[in-house]
Amino acid sequence: MPTILVSPLDETPRPATAPAPRLKTLAGKTVGLLDIGKPGGAIFLDRLAVLLEQRGAARIVRESKPTFTKPAPAEVMDRLAAAKVDAVIEGLAD
Amino acid sequence: MVEKLLFFFETDCPTCRLAAPYLNRLGAKVTAISQDGEEATAEFVRQTGLRMRVEVDDGLRLSRRFDPEFVPALYLLDGQGQVLESHVGFDKEVLNRLAAALGSGPIADPYDGAPSRKPGCGSRHREGGQVRDVPVTSAGVSPAPATRMALDDSLDPIDYCRQFGDPLPVVPPTVERVERMLRATPLPAQELVARVPPNYGAATVEKIAANAVMAGCAPEMMRVLIPLVRAACDERFNIHGIQATTHFAAPLIIVNGPVRKELGFACGSNVFSNVARANSTLGRALQLILTNLGGARPGEIDMSALGNPGKFSYCIAENEEQSPWPPLHDGSAVTLFAAEPPHGVSEHTARSGREVLKTICYSLATVWNYRSCAGREALVVIGPEHARTIARDGITKDEARQLLFDNTGVPLRVFENTDAEGTQLVKMYQEITIDGQRCYRKFQSPEAIHIVVAGGTAGKFSAVIGSWATGTRGSLMVTYPV
Repeated sequence: MPTILVSPLDETPRPATAPAPRLKTLAGKTVGLLDIGKPGGAIFLDRLAVLLEQRGAARIVRESKPTFTKPAPAEVMDRLAAAKVDAVIEGLAD
Repeated sequence: MVEKLLFFFETDCPTCRLAAPYLNRLGAKVTAISQDGEEATAEFVRQTGLRMRVEVDDGLRLSRRFDPEFVPALYLLDGQGQVLESHVGFDKEVLNRLAAALGSGPIADPYDGAPSRKPGCGSRHREGGQVRDVPVTSAGVSPAPATRMALDDSLDPIDYCRQFGDPLPVVPPTVERVERMLRATPLPAQELVARVPPNYGAATVEKIAANAVMAGCAPEMMRVLIPLVRAACDERFNIHGIQATTHFAAPLIIVNGPVRKELGFACGSNVFSNVARANSTLGRALQLILTNLGGARPGEIDMSALGNPGKFSYCIAENEEQSPWPPLHDGSAVTLFAAEPPHGVSEHTARSGREVLKTICYSLATVWNYRSCAGREALVVIGPEHARTIARDGITKDEARQLLFDNTGVPLRVFENTDAEGTQLVKMYQEITIDGQRCYRKFQSPEAIHIVVAGGTAGKFSAVIGSWATGTRGSLMVTYPV
């Protein structure tokens, strides 16, 4: 008699999502910088903004989450989408 | 003339569950319309405490007439039943606008810990890409049954099951054992209890039962586990953040009421340790559910820098019999607190209640770090001997909390000439005098200090447990009745 087990794992079906296409160049692109609100995040993203502009990014859009403990609220995502960003860099952790 | 609001909901939709208590505040002006059967609807009403008129949408006729794409769906109607405004999903601004249209004040506080907006679920009548005529089952539409796995005789089930658990061996979740668990609950096996963050895996009754078997739970534990999983996945508790943080936080379960004795929860000596099957298995079952269904495995999504021994199991019960004060919750209930490990407070010589509390204050001042004030909470677990000394001096529980609040501070001098964490925020801190010394107040309000009496009757010990990020920007303590 084989032992029959009930799977205790998550079996929620999820459609695979392809990662966003990588940018081939920064020239003329709009880059969103998302600060999750941890100490030091702004220092990192300020420097990144300078470097991105030096490398040809046309526009930098700054956004921040109201709290780092929760996923970005819809408003933040909507504002990034409305700014028509080509890519977003998230400043995670301290 | 605005007449009333219709609230279409599904019983397994987390966004509908989120919206329900807000709409309760509009009372008789709202009619709720369930897209599921009588039984599932009655259970939803019980769980969410829905107080408005509730109708079951028989044959989904109303749903097809109004034809919302998603639920929750809200329709503001005039006296003739004409739609003045409609909205799908959860949106606090919309809720307040609709409340104003109905002549009520705001019903959704923007800073109550819940998200300001949350998308809903596909409306039942549109499931499968077409308008459905068939009535749904009493339990609503549920996730598929768990996969059955037949093990070859050459495999040792305990070895095979190592992939499902924490690093300790688990009890193999055989069909027979899982069925024994399922017989202990009136809920159908496929009913969705919650979606577990951060991956939002479906915690059906059957999946909860399989994990409970692995943790070593007795079947009767299902009556505690179901509300516990709901509590853990309550938006206010923010298990998403707790599971993903690099901090020490782990959900600490506190059990109150008659269920302690009924199921054998320990609340006396060794309350935090390996003393009772009920405590150890309930805490372990929650952790297995969080990792197996929520997906936050250590070393993957859970990258906690130092971790917490409570991630094996972290469950205490309040020693209500030895407590001179009202319990944390009156009646059978589970409470969750995003907790660091316990920090012991030994005090053997103080003769007065006030001095015992002052000793606890000095430990409380070190929560998070000594120089960080105002942003955290703490759970103070007072041992019965300390509690007796405090109560003997006529100090009530509220007075004890106030005394801890008023006497926990950090001297101004320790903030001088440093850039250490907390020192940048001193402008926000409140200056007070404690025993003639200028200090910053450690906590923002007395409510940031929670008190529970637990532990054995011999030994003058208490414990202070620091929180993770708290309040509406972090985790709020939640209590669910059992």
